Amino acid sequence: MSTPLPPSARENILAAVRAGQPTAVPLPAVPAFGGDDSVEKFAGLLASIGGEMVMLASLSELASAVARRYPADYHTASDLMPATVAVTAATGGETLAGIDLAVLRGTLGVAENGAVWLPEANMLHRALPVVAQHLVLVLDRRALVATMHQAYAQIRDVGGYGVFLAGPSKTADIEQSLVIGAHGVRSLTVMLH
Amino acid sequence: MKVALFVPCYVDQFYPQVAVASLQLLAKLGVRADFPKQQTCCGQPMANSGCEQEARPVYRHFVETFADYDYVVGPAGSCVYHVRQHFDVIDQTPAVRHVRTATVELFDFITQVLGVTELPGAFPHKVGLHLSCHGQRGLHQANASEMTPVRDGQLRRLLAGLEGLELTELDRNDECCGFGGTFCVSEAGISARMGQDRVADHVRHGTRVLTGGDMSCLMHLEGIVRRQKLPVRVLHAAEIFNGALA
Amino acid sequence: MSQSPTHAQRSDLFLLDAERTTWHDETLWFVREKRDRAVYATPEFQELRQLASDIKDHTLSQLSEYLAQFEAAALANGVRVHWAADAAEHNRIVLGIVRQAGATRVVKSKSMLTEECHLNPHLLAHGVEVIDSDLGERIIQLRDEAPSHVVLPAIHLKKEDVGETFWQHLGTEKGLTDPQQLTEAARQHLREKFLAAEVAISGVNFAVAETGAVVVCTNEGNADLAIGLARVHIACMGLEKLIPRLSDLAVFTRLLTRSATGQPITTYTSHFTRPAEGKEMHVVIVDNGRSQQLGRPDFRASLKCIRCGACMNTCPVYRRSGGHSYDFTIPGPIGAILSPNIDMKQHASLPFASTLCGSCTAVCPVKIDIHTQLYKWRQVLAAEGHIPASKQYSMQLLSRVLARPSLFKAGGAVARLGLRFVPHALTHAPGYNPWAIARELPTPPRQSFRDWYAQQGPTNAPA
Repeated sequence: MSTPLPPSARENILAAVRAGQPTAVPLPAVPAFGGDDSVEKFAGLLASIGGEMVMLASLSELASAVARRYPADYHTASDLMPATVAVTAATGGETLAGIDLAVLRGTLGVAENGAVWLPEANMLHRALPVVAQHLVLVLDRRALVATMHQAYAQIRDVGGYGVFLAGPSKTADIEQSLVIGAHGVRSLTVMLH
Repeated sequence: MKVALFVPCYVDQFYPQVAVASLQLLAKLGVRADFPKQQTCCGQPMANSGCEQEARPVYRHFVETFADYDYVVGPAGSCVYHVRQHFDVIDQTPAVRHVRTATVELFDFITQVLGVTELPGAFPHKVGLHLSCHGQRGLHQANASEMTPVRDGQLRRLLAGLEGLELTELDRNDECCGFGGTFCVSEAGISARMGQDRVADHVRHGTRVLTGGDMSCLMHLEGIVRRQKLPVRVLHAAEIFNGALA
Repeated sequence: MSQSPTHAQRSDLFLLDAERTTWHDETLWFVREKRDRAVYATPEFQELRQLASDIKDHTLSQLSEYLAQFEAAALANGVRVHWAADAAEHNRIVLGIVRQAGATRVVKSKSMLTEECHLNPHLLAHGVEVIDSDLGERIIQLRDEAPSHVVLPAIHLKKEDVGETFWQHLGTEKGLTDPQQLTEAARQHLREKFLAAEVAISGVNFAVAETGAVVVCTNEGNADLAIGLARVHIACMGLEKLIPRLSDLAVFTRLLTRSATGQPITTYTSHFTRPAEGKEMHVVIVDNGRSQQLGRPDFRASLKCIRCGACMNTCPVYRRSGGHSYDFTIPGPIGAILSPNIDMKQHASLPFASTLCGSCTAVCPVKIDIHTQLYKWRQVLAAEGHIPASKQYSMQLLSRVLARPSLFKAGGAVARLGLRFVPHALTHAPGYNPWAIARELPTPPRQSFRDWYAQQGPTNAPA
């Protein structure tokens, strides 16, 4: 699979690394640091990183909750509720760039940092969760874990592509002033049911 | 208990009153310390300049000078740290190993070896404590802000115990003063700026007496205080306690 | 000694603008304080640092095995893996991939490695448009400057500078200084570039040996946006980025941003394992001096660095000298222990750009003994003849004096007499004594301690 190269590049590097390696030292086991996995903790962290949380009494309220929060003329992509733009893995960039709102299902929320795990299978298109102007992540309240240790233990296989999303896109590259909406979504709302 | 007073070279030459105060303070606490007069320096100026090779004879001389003492007590955390930490490059004879562990900073000696955690006396002034980096992070004499918000340490406690003394709360409790040994001349501009900022933090919060356990930092800060003609006295903590203690 | 300017000389230029120095110091100290708050709020933080350090020590001790394991897993995932011994080879490989894709438009997310390799000029020289998409990187790219910090590449600039740059290059209103509006202008400008790009280049924060995945951490989402839209993804990584297990990511993601900016995690923590259907993913593994550093027992721990920038934010020298004073891709304390490995002569002054205060070591999330390595590099540099001969000579002289008490006694008396009698104007003349430019010399006492002590007599019981 490697592109043609001087045949020895890889071997030379590995040999140099092997020559420099110190005596082997053991790999430590990582304890399962637990902690608070409550909705309150998650909501507090999410708010602190610029995200918002909406509680749904049940999943059937999703469409009406979305309708209350976003203008009716938004171009919306979703596999969880009626959408105005159909998105598949083959959708082109120009179409994606016109999407105002994506509503997707996260599979796990992390209370210590407000992050939500979004696997590729739930994205419709890899660029959708970041190219849309706004993002709603739907999450089962039973899918909250305390820390990243529990999160990775539960995920186990990240698939072809997967992202922890923690609030809206942001930057502080100009004088450390926090600005929401750098290149990715301008807002991120977690709808917990 | 056989105790030697280790007087760093610049203290001997420029701040003899600090060594006198250390000697007298120890005497008041019942410790008669010798001053082995063949002592010179710990070798740190050379080693910090990259000339550890050249420092080796100095290290060996230090060990020979102090090998017969149970404790080697110095009023300078940085020099003590250098002996304990960096004398690892000469042969680790029993004498070298002994001197490395026997060399202790004055207030470590008072609080940990003598077990004295309170010094009586009064010093009714607004006092700013400058933490020496080598004392704090090297010898673990005080909490570090990298680890905990709790500002604590043995010298802070001893000072707080003096009657009438009010400690200055700084914006930056433990930022380096910028002395850094030969750094103060090789990076003179940054060194001076760091010292000016450190002094300004003290002045902003009302320090009238600036103190610490390491005379090298204080020498640098005193140079800035005097250049700027600020109403701040600079005293080694040994001077404060020796003066306060009857 | 190198003929290029020293750190001290470059710092003096930065210090000329005292107000800007104050601002730079306070801005970075603010980041350090955010870091502190995040650390204090995480009870197991010190335990996590130890784990991270141990995991990295282990990985370095079996790095060749982990590299082979990573490669095999990545190949099985349909990723193409390339090996580059140095910067030139890295640049050749990347250009080759771009050409093979028939592409001329590249968008790049933040990668200190590609900065280290000077990839941009290489691509531009070969007719490839390369756009840095991280806001800070884009600002300095437009200004043709180098990053001054690994996490905050444009931290040396004020919003007025950015407004001026955007007015010149992006056509924003003259005098615009609002960060919100400036960021919005960059968003609009870069959206077009994202949509047009055929190739997306990214750095790598972590490469997981057991799965062959690379993990990229950003706040802006620029890496995910570029990679999600482009046909080809090229991930460029130094060979020290390996970690053994997926679960190790928990340790590192918990430490990285808390140390860097005080955030609990980056906004995007993205795992790239396989290319999307019909697309390509390449990983370029680069040595460029790293295997040599691995072979230096005193300095190999520098390869544990996860580029959080905490040592820069806490360094009292960096905060007052600015990142460009280091004249190396990675500035600050960590740069000062990485750079001599690349070129001892050129970077000889960097390990001396420190008071050895140790704050860098105390904040380092992977417990690199940075200040100890600075001290040790000084020894190596002196031994290899990279410190000024005058300094070495005076240290030899000093050694002779300090190893002989009689000489020492005489020398001290001379120094004190000198200070007492030499006129102020002479000892304080700039150029004569750097100490005296901003500080008074100690007032020389009449008597040294040893003279005083000798006068006390043998029965002396001072009290």
